[in-house]
Amino acid sequence: MKSLSTDQRRALGAFLIAIALHMLGTLLIQGYSSAFSMRAMLVLASLLAIASIGQTLVIILGGIDLSIPFVIGFANVVSAQLYGDGMSFWVVCVIVLALALVIGAFNGLVSGGLNIHPLIVTLGVGTIIQGSVLLWTAGFPSGSAPATLSEFVSIGGSAMGLPVPWLVPCFIVVIALITVLLVRTPYGRRVYAVGNNPRAAMLALISPLGMWTLTFAISAFFAAVTGILLLGFTGSAYGEVGQPYLFQTIAAVVIGGTALVGGRGSYLGTVAGALVLTELNTLLIGLGLQPSVVQAALGLVIILLVSLYGRDPHVSTRI
Amino acid sequence: MSERGATTGSGHRLARAIQRSVFSSAGFAPLLFVILLAINIWLNPARFAPAAWGTLLGLAAPLIGAAVASTPAFLGGRGGIDISVGPLMGFVNAIVVLVFIQMLGVSSPFAIVPAALLVGVAGGVVNAFLATILRIQPIVATLGTYLVLVGATLTILPAPTGTAPQWLSQLAGTWSILPLGCVFLVWWAICRTPYYDQLMAVGSDDRAAYTAGVPVTKVRFLSFVITGLFSGAAGLMLTALIGSADPAVGPTYTLIAISAVALGGVSLAGGRGSVIGAAIGAIDIFLLQSALTYLNVSTFILQISYGAILVLAIVLTAVQDRYMEQRAQRAGS
Repeated sequence: MKSLSTDQRRALGAFLIAIALHMLGTLLIQGYSSAFSMRAMLVLASLLAIASIGQTLVIILGGIDLSIPFVIGFANVVSAQLYGDGMSFWVVCVIVLALALVIGAFNGLVSGGLNIHPLIVTLGVGTIIQGSVLLWTAGFPSGSAPATLSEFVSIGGSAMGLPVPWLVPCFIVVIALITVLLVRTPYGRRVYAVGNNPRAAMLALISPLGMWTLTFAISAFFAAVTGILLLGFTGSAYGEVGQPYLFQTIAAVVIGGTALVGGRGSYLGTVAGALVLTELNTLLIGLGLQPSVVQAALGLVIILLVSLYGRDPHVSTRI
Repeated sequence: MSERGATTGSGHRLARAIQRSVFSSAGFAPLLFVILLAINIWLNPARFAPAAWGTLLGLAAPLIGAAVASTPAFLGGRGGIDISVGPLMGFVNAIVVLVFIQMLGVSSPFAIVPAALLVGVAGGVVNAFLATILRIQPIVATLGTYLVLVGATLTILPAPTGTAPQWLSQLAGTWSILPLGCVFLVWWAICRTPYYDQLMAVGSDDRAAYTAGVPVTKVRFLSFVITGLFSGAAGLMLTALIGSADPAVGPTYTLIAISAVALGGVSLAGGRGSVIGAAIGAIDIFLLQSALTYLNVSTFILQISYGAILVLAIVLTAVQDRYMEQRAQRAGS
């Protein structure tokens, strides 16, 4: 229980940083807290946080998933293409999500079963997927997003009279579901157990291999969901749309206080991390900095934040 | 992460000794190398004729350099990784061409080579400080320097520009063996010192190494500095090959170098593998690209086969590891 309270403290810390950044932005930049910019930030942060669900689970489990950007691109292009060919959108979603589950399960099965570092397996599998999608579309993806999907994620949309698109309330439900999944279900406890000590988990009759397969499948599933949502957000398919998420998902997880060694962390922390990253990006761009400078500043801030509360213990304390 | 590697690595010295003698701890990379080389020579004898070896090696040099540079950080274990190798190469490229040649007008090798290596070492020291003294997880620490370096390179060099001096371009042609040879010589010298054994001990089991009196933090610190030094050298090889300053090329080397390292049998959990293995892994990827480019297949197929070979090779290496272990266990009991 003690580690849980540390997680909560870290998540709270990340939320406070996000709020501080927001106040700083409001002070420095005119219109930073305007309705439009708030909505835009909420939508962007939601998308990042959904893409980071899988990364959070996988990192708590003790792994890492570099295939997320490739699965995002895959879902983005394939769903647009199939929908453009006249298929019903729901069928398209089922096909894409099922394929994503298979991809993720393969990632988990190979890296967990053969004890290969997931970094390299997910990277290799991601490369294959990206190449296959490019081959299928000959590099020029076509198709479009259904209007309901665009409405669902549109910055200008509204839900239940609120000035936010349906994505945001749905996302809040997802936060609750993932948190309950991690804290209150046997699956969640097993994720922490395997992440803490795979051998001890095995003695408690948990199959680490099963957990790896299932969790990587979940990770790919949510990456595919992000890919489909991004299709609605941008309106057209683009195979590289997931690339910024490669490092951003890891950064969101780490800023949220989840340790990369596994066994610790929370999804609420990741949500806070996604908010911090989005606020920071908006703030730096709002200050009129060049994209290249924004990138450099983002790197510095990630190092700064993680050095405040994400440090590893010294080897002498591990003996 | 390293916990998982350590469970298979500990206590099976015999198996490892056998494996080392059979496959010289480079997994399937040497076998793949022979096959791919044969295919390449069969496809395109002119390109692989001895007269063209200099140019050929020059083409492969930045990738080999990047893979070799990535290796020491991995060997240190406990999540040791340096993803800033590619951007650091790009940064060195920008500094050499833009600052030294264009702005200062210096083109002497005696100024440029030390400067490039110094920039590399400086980058390595920053990474080492963040990852071992501040103890930020290496992948996050080097992600931070990755972003800073890419941003800094793009800020001073928004678009490709400049030209490399003649002597440097020759290092990607006739004399391409020289920079690579120097890097291998330095690593060979390091392997002759006690430091190398300490690095492998720390990578295999840092707790055991610590209780045995190995200065774990110092050893890991140095591994990142060596990675930085080699990244500086790889940045020079990159500059020699492209002959100008280009902000977009460097960062692309990071992921492909990690693939090459894994292909070459270097354990990403630390303590196992060699720089030679990493170099062979890099050459494999180069030969694969070369053969597929010659066959004029689309870059998409190139990408698929590159990913497939990577996954296949590491799966085969893992299966072989497991088989060796089981045999050793049976022999032992």
